[in-house]
Amino acid sequence: MTKLQFQGISKYFQDRHLLQEISLPVWQGHCTLLTGANGAGKTTLLRILAGFERPDTFEVQTSLGLLNWRQYKKTLSSRVLYLHQQPYMFEGSVWANLDYALPRHLSKLERAERIEEALTWAVLEALANAKAKNLSGGEYQRVALARAWLRKPQILLLDEPTSNMDQEARLRTVHLLGQLRSEGMALVVASHDPDYFSSLVTDHLHLNQGQLLPVPLHAKRDNGNVTTLRQSL
Amino acid sequence: MEALVQASQDALSLLFSGDKELWEIVGISFQVSLLALIIAIPPALLLAFALAYGQFVGRRFLIALFSTMLSVPTVVIGLTLYVLLSRQGPLGEWRLLFTQTAMMLGQITLAFPMLVSIGHSALQAADRRAWETARTLGASRLRALLTVTYEVRFGLLAAVLASFGRIISEVGASMMLGGNILHHTRNIPTAIALETSKGEFAQGIALGLVLLVMALALNVLLHHFQGKGYVGS
Repeated sequence: MTKLQFQGISKYFQDRHLLQEISLPVWQGHCTLLTGANGAGKTTLLRILAGFERPDTFEVQTSLGLLNWRQYKKTLSSRVLYLHQQPYMFEGSVWANLDYALPRHLSKLERAERIEEALTWAVLEALANAKAKNLSGGEYQRVALARAWLRKPQILLLDEPTSNMDQEARLRTVHLLGQLRSEGMALVVASHDPDYFSSLVTDHLHLNQGQLLPVPLHAKRDNGNVTTLRQSL
Repeated sequence: MEALVQASQDALSLLFSGDKELWEIVGISFQVSLLALIIAIPPALLLAFALAYGQFVGRRFLIALFSTMLSVPTVVIGLTLYVLLSRQGPLGEWRLLFTQTAMMLGQITLAFPMLVSIGHSALQAADRRAWETARTLGASRLRALLTVTYEVRFGLLAAVLASFGRIISEVGASMMLGGNILHHTRNIPTAIALETSKGEFAQGIALGLVLLVMALALNVLLHHFQGKGYVGS
């Protein structure tokens, strides 16, 4: 897959037309930043792309042709990974949580090798046997990213991945996301902190009143005014 | 008072002397109720899961229906099945009346709504991210179901223990469907009812003690497991 073109995505919540015929191209190795006010529909859009929320209208142009929602869920949603704002950790250790992301057919030795690699990649070696539910917010995110790294989806959807994190944890998260992007993963990031992703972002879209509007890179919407983005963290 | 003390002494004597008839009644009780529970758990859990996670017409009605069925008296269930299984009934040809199978059917009918209702509450209270994380990490529906089941195992265990407590101590359905036949369908509650009606309290007290000890053991077990589920442990 080099490109998926989502188009005509609409979603009503009772009388409110939350998403209005939205089009969203997703490119391999690109990072699309989604911004918008609270309640603008960023999370809903990501959840639709993840296959968790049923849209009212939906189409996606792929190499297989034009797919509707049902076909997309059946054929492509398994190649999409969604990370919640606060990632969920299963009962058990960090190791067990990483193991969950691996295909079932791998041997025990292969699993162990890949988990070791993932632990090293996300700098989680010291926490391998720690109870996952007891980790800090930043560590949660790193375990979640390590699961994504093991799973190798084509599209990684991230809902506010750096919220409630300190500066160091944010930098680490952005660094890991950069690595995932450079491996060819398409990232779609919904965030209130566009500054933190300036080094990653290739496309910036702003969701406002159900419409998705392109925002020129190196500029951001700030209370309706366009201001210069910080170039580095 | 003296008679009560004497009956209690006789009851303890029956229990600790290994009275064959008494322990046979206990054995039939546990055999019938455990089998009924084992048969009821898988479909009840699947239905509870569908009610908690599915979106289909009639879902709310089913939830209300199973909650209502919790309060249906056991004799009404006994009577309904009696009519169905009696010779003139539509299932009369099965010749199940006054057998352990008929008792089991009654107990399954009693346990099922309780397992569904409490199981549904436990699953509904579960963090929805558990299901979504499992699915986005590539788990099949079955694996995701087993994962969520494990995550809420204490709530589900409470449903199982409550259901077991209900069916092993119910007298109405067992009496009507089993017929209280010695060595075949006489279980703890029907034996207590019979012995009490005869004015023979010793065996009734002994069997009542077995039920009490069992209830205590089940609750200790539940609290033990719940204690292990403490986040900080």
